[in-house]
Amino acid sequence: MSARKPGPLLVANAHLVDGAGDHGIGDLAVEGGVVRAVGAGAGEGLDAERTIDAAGALLTPAFLDLHAHLREPGQEVKEDLASGLAAAAAGGYGTVVSMANTTPPVDEPGLVAELLQKAERLGGTRLRPAAALSRGLGGETLTDFAALQQAGAAMITDDGIPVADGRVMRSACEYAAELGLVVQTHSEDPSLRAGGVMNEGVVSQTLGLPGNPDAAEAAMVFRDCEVARLTGARVHIAHVTCKRAMQVVEHFKALGVPVTCEVTPHHLTLTDAALEGFDPVFKVAPPLRTEEDVAYLREAVRRGVVDSIGTDHAPHTRAEKERDLLTAPFGLPNIEVAFALLYTELVLGGELELDRLLWLLQDGPAAVMGWPAPRLTAGAPADLTLIDLTRERPVEPRRFLSKARFSPWAGEMLRGWPLLTLVGGAPAFELEEVAS
Amino acid sequence: MMATVDIEIPTPARERKRNLLDFADWSVAEVQALFETADVMAQVLTRTIKKVPALQGFTVGTLFFEDSTRTRLSFERAARAQSADVISFAAGGSSLSKGESLKDTLQTIDQMQADLYVVRHPAAGAPSQIARWTDAAIVNAGDGRRAHPTQALLDAYTFRQRFPGFDDFRGKRLAIVGDVMHSRVARSNVELWRKLGGEVVLCGPPTLLPPQVAPGVHRSHRLAEALEGAHAVMTLRLQHERMASSLLPSLAEYVARYQLTERALAGAHPEALVMHPGPLNRDVEIATEIADGPRSVIHAQVANGVPVRMAVLYTLLVGKR
Repeated sequence: MSARKPGPLLVANAHLVDGAGDHGIGDLAVEGGVVRAVGAGAGEGLDAERTIDAAGALLTPAFLDLHAHLREPGQEVKEDLASGLAAAAAGGYGTVVSMANTTPPVDEPGLVAELLQKAERLGGTRLRPAAALSRGLGGETLTDFAALQQAGAAMITDDGIPVADGRVMRSACEYAAELGLVVQTHSEDPSLRAGGVMNEGVVSQTLGLPGNPDAAEAAMVFRDCEVARLTGARVHIAHVTCKRAMQVVEHFKALGVPVTCEVTPHHLTLTDAALEGFDPVFKVAPPLRTEEDVAYLREAVRRGVVDSIGTDHAPHTRAEKERDLLTAPFGLPNIEVAFALLYTELVLGGELELDRLLWLLQDGPAAVMGWPAPRLTAGAPADLTLIDLTRERPVEPRRFLSKARFSPWAGEMLRGWPLLTLVGGAPAFELEEVAS
Repeated sequence: MMATVDIEIPTPARERKRNLLDFADWSVAEVQALFETADVMAQVLTRTIKKVPALQGFTVGTLFFEDSTRTRLSFERAARAQSADVISFAAGGSSLSKGESLKDTLQTIDQMQADLYVVRHPAAGAPSQIARWTDAAIVNAGDGRRAHPTQALLDAYTFRQRFPGFDDFRGKRLAIVGDVMHSRVARSNVELWRKLGGEVVLCGPPTLLPPQVAPGVHRSHRLAEALEGAHAVMTLRLQHERMASSLLPSLAEYVARYQLTERALAGAHPEALVMHPGPLNRDVEIATEIADGPRSVIHAQVANGVPVRMAVLYTLLVGKR
């Protein structure tokens, strides 16, 4: 896709919205991979190779996902860069940070460079690989942060595996602070989590499944926030799932500690009661919590405590998810449905304003990373998503571009589906009807 | 040669059940009917020729993903005593380590066309998953910590049979002592005993009791308090790994506080029955003189396993629709 420079493009009559506000109905001209002009008459003087009539649709900066498992290298049976980035584009994402818990883990500069080169060849949604915090994700020896950063690593994280040793976390944060790198944490105390496969509570008691208490998460979030305070590092707490952990984050934010936090689409919409059918599709880490936790997360989102929504898109093979609940792996695929799910459940559900949801997918994650806020302004990269907020259709896993063709929301009617995702001015995803 | 039988086996009150996963969708009347069927089966087992053709032509598959000799033996006896064919599959979790999914394993076995599977699995919910993937009936023979419904049935059946002057479960109190947290036997007994109208008291150290209990279920950390007025006392096997995982300080402390002894039983109902799902840790959770004493119905529990499981297989396979 990137082999050919995309021709000039005009998106006409779109509802233009970005983090700076609602710009009303207008046109947006794209040339040379960047936004050329915005507003009425944006197309003047543009020798458009293509004009898209976007009447009735929302044009907004493409989303940023700071948390996706694209499984390359080594786990291509679950997902690879091509399928994962295509799925991301279908979800409206223009940039994705891939997690490092691959086989081998992304713990060497060469692996970061290789991923970047491959993604460059593929074109489409931009890849910003995360690098492992510890060698082999072993939690003992730090990786070469500076060299990894040099090679293009976007952040440092052992995500998937909590950093059990507090001293290792401290050292990592000291190094990262000096280099200006974000450290993303998977904060669960492994000893308190023990063998838990779901949230510990009434439901786990009834189902007889080993529980993982919210205290495991809250305690580790506390430690990681303390380390952020101690070192001044920019610590980004991935997937906060419970009230107690969120309260801890709030506490440290109020003190001015440089912590940021993420919530996921599934923790905002599902509870541990989903496990009652004994379907391992709902087995995720940290686990789905209670109604009270979900309500608190939603409130935290509204109050602006949450910095970003990351998908934690974690594809597996269907066969792996057809194991029993003790041996099936943690994680679910969601990057293609994340926006429609959150728009339907939260925005149409009357719990969240659309601009707030967009902020959590655009300006929020950009601020976490220290990237420029994505804007619909002349000169900005033409990473754009066109969304039909009125379009309603069921979640159909068999049509996923991800290799993981199953979903907790299979069959659910959702509204707000991306029609087109442009990255650097070129379509990374496009519904057939838009193309024709 | 098979004996001709002219016994009349009662059928459940409502439509035929497909599965016995737990008791969630079983009515009291259905459970009572099952006990009555078990009475008939028990009578069959007293005959010279302990076999009826009730399940002739049916195939029962035992799928044991976790080791068990006694439960499987009991089910196989129950199937063969009704002339069913039995096929056995024992995995012990090994197929999972080879990377085969539970669904693949099941679908391979399902090509043998069994009519009913008896499933034991180390993971809670596995029999429910399997029930989604096959048309055969499923009997849960123990899944993780979740449920072991035929054990609970044979326990209740034994109480019904052995408690002097038994008329009803209502007003009867069952005390379950020990590692309730990790026990599927305890979970199923709580579920069934409550369904039948009885009271349940759970007793053990805080680390071995679930923090939340269902309405009508009591918790106690004191053995004497828990046994007060109990009509049945069930002690659970103490797994030695509980000490290693720091759930218990020492065996000695557990024995001192929770071993079922003559003295501990003093406050129970004078005719209280003592039960144990086995296998016994003699002189750990239960004193030998109690296990072998007059109140003990431990052997009756094992013996009743066969007619109760016969009744379960019969009810699921040929009970009236």
